[in-house]
Amino acid sequence: MKLREYQAKEVFARYGITVPEGELARSEQEARAAAEKLGGPVVIKPQLGIKGRGKVGGIGFADDPDGAAAEAARLLGSDVRGEVVRTLLVERRARIERELYLSVAVDHGARLPLLMASPRGGVDIEEVARTSPDQLLRLHGSMVDPVEDLDLSAVDELLGDGAADVMRALYRCFRETDAEMVEVNPLVVTPDGLMAVDAVLNVDDAALPRHPDLQAMRESLPTDDPLAEEARARHWTYIKLDGDIAILSSGAGLTMTILDLLERAGGKAANFLDTAQIDEQGMVAAFDLLRRASTPKVWLINIFAGLNRCDRLAEGIRDYVREQQLPQPIVVRMVGNMEQEGHRILREVCIEPVTELEQAIEHCVALSQGGRTDDVPHCRR
Amino acid sequence: MTSHIVDADTAVAVVGITGQAARLHTRIMKAYGTQVVAGVRPGAAGQQVEGVPVFDSAAEAMAGAGANAAVLFVPALAIRAAALEALDAGLKLLVMVPEHVPVHDTLAIAERARQVGAQVVGPNTPGLIRPSVKCKLGFLPEAYFTPGPVGVASRSGTLHYEMVRRLTGEGIGQSTCVGVGGDGVVGTTFADMLRFFQDDPETRAVLMVGEIGGTMEEDAAELVIAGEVTKPVVSFLAGRNAPPDKRMGHAGAIIAAGRGTIESKEEAFGRAGIALADLPGDVVPMLRRALER
Repeated sequence: MKLREYQAKEVFARYGITVPEGELARSEQEARAAAEKLGGPVVIKPQLGIKGRGKVGGIGFADDPDGAAAEAARLLGSDVRGEVVRTLLVERRARIERELYLSVAVDHGARLPLLMASPRGGVDIEEVARTSPDQLLRLHGSMVDPVEDLDLSAVDELLGDGAADVMRALYRCFRETDAEMVEVNPLVVTPDGLMAVDAVLNVDDAALPRHPDLQAMRESLPTDDPLAEEARARHWTYIKLDGDIAILSSGAGLTMTILDLLERAGGKAANFLDTAQIDEQGMVAAFDLLRRASTPKVWLINIFAGLNRCDRLAEGIRDYVREQQLPQPIVVRMVGNMEQEGHRILREVCIEPVTELEQAIEHCVALSQGGRTDDVPHCRR
Repeated sequence: MTSHIVDADTAVAVVGITGQAARLHTRIMKAYGTQVVAGVRPGAAGQQVEGVPVFDSAAEAMAGAGANAAVLFVPALAIRAAALEALDAGLKLLVMVPEHVPVHDTLAIAERARQVGAQVVGPNTPGLIRPSVKCKLGFLPEAYFTPGPVGVASRSGTLHYEMVRRLTGEGIGQSTCVGVGGDGVVGTTFADMLRFFQDDPETRAVLMVGEIGGTMEEDAAELVIAGEVTKPVVSFLAGRNAPPDKRMGHAGAIIAAGRGTIESKEEAFGRAGIALADLPGDVVPMLRRALER
């Protein structure tokens, strides 16, 4: 989960990292009031889930309350890379002498936290890494040793101005919030000391249950896709796609393989849904979610019952199809425990299951392209 | 690493044995032939679950029942404490089944495992199996596995079964099969598995079932390029049509900054001479050719 900038700053401040004084504004009036309260020049920043906002011209600057209101009017309701601006962070503008860069992220290859620091902040750090690697310090931390044990003297040597203290605070924040990444770009040197004028905090969703404060921050954000949210609550992954074949399968790897096979056979998936292991109630819930998501031309259900049982899942499909009068054809690929019994149950509702994935794909594509159900014996309905 | 990850002397402790899934799989593992010698559940010492004595800790399961490996069925948020206790007790093989384990916990466990020289598999894995000695830790559906010369390592669970069902159906058995886990950070990587299969006398060819995201496949290819792995490797990759920047269930399945794409994996495999199956159906004939080599 990526927190909004104002939320990340709230968390950073708890770790002793100085952030600019600021107020949230959701209207011109609120932006004007915020600028009046802060006094002097302000910066007005849309609070969005995307990165690289400055580059797409999404930040406003104003010298007085009238200017702040005008900038707010320009920004509110505008579309920044597909996201509508509804909330602004109005901040007192910092007096910037130098811009630095600090971050801590999970290094998947080394399987350690990776701390990065550069005296060249305020720009695209990947560009710095490419063009002047000596200006980007990389340092591995630990998930086992205490935060204070890490030697950060190299950060002060390269960045100066006591940046190592902020680095340590950021590293502590990373460790204690179960972050996937924390980033300050830029960390600015002002006459009054170091200040984080931007803030990124990505928290590991899996760890949210042990961070009620961060969970609350997440819940305060608008949900972009209610169905994805509903799936997430069940620990499923749902992604809407633009095709017409609804897919109900388990396991990310196998489901991705189905997408690949469909694409190759000329079909288009309506969704990606990974339910992991489900029982018959889960099967009904998945049907239900996908029906609300779109109206497909055909359904593809893939069951490899290594642990669960084909017969139980077949009962779930049979009952759903009967009760809901599902109008579209269903292709079921079903193998695993109690396979024969599962197949028998499916035949009660005129579904003739197949055992090979490629065969199921072929039928689905034929049906989605207008093939009549009578032509495909495996989904006689 | 010893020459086998598990062998006839592997004595398994089931950590979290009193849970519903753990009970079921204790029964299934035992029925398959795995020596399950102990269960672990703090506060439940003295109980019996599925005929297995329960201990308060991994340390006591080692001392009291001779456990030398563990499979962890504990809830995701309890895995860190359970795994660190087992590592500190001196267990050298842990299989971590649960999904949704916080990445910081996996990092801490992997770091400690490196310090003490232990092997950790997972998390988010169906486990591992060695059909020739009827030993499995986890929940791989054993009915589809049969002894033979192909070592299998897979990030995905269901795609793992899908592939092994095809191998067994065509008369190609397996030496050791390991679900390395679907997360972005795992304790045992494809590179670790290739090193193991290279030294494993039972393995003559390797099937590596990868997917988009992460750089585990690229890292494994580097070992082959460096000449450390000379046995034939066949691979299948899922996710060619995954929408960019979307999570596909596995935290690892994220495209980031040009690395971890199907193209970068193909390129690395090309340099390594790893045979990449275009379709799932190509895997069996490619492995057959590799075995005839």
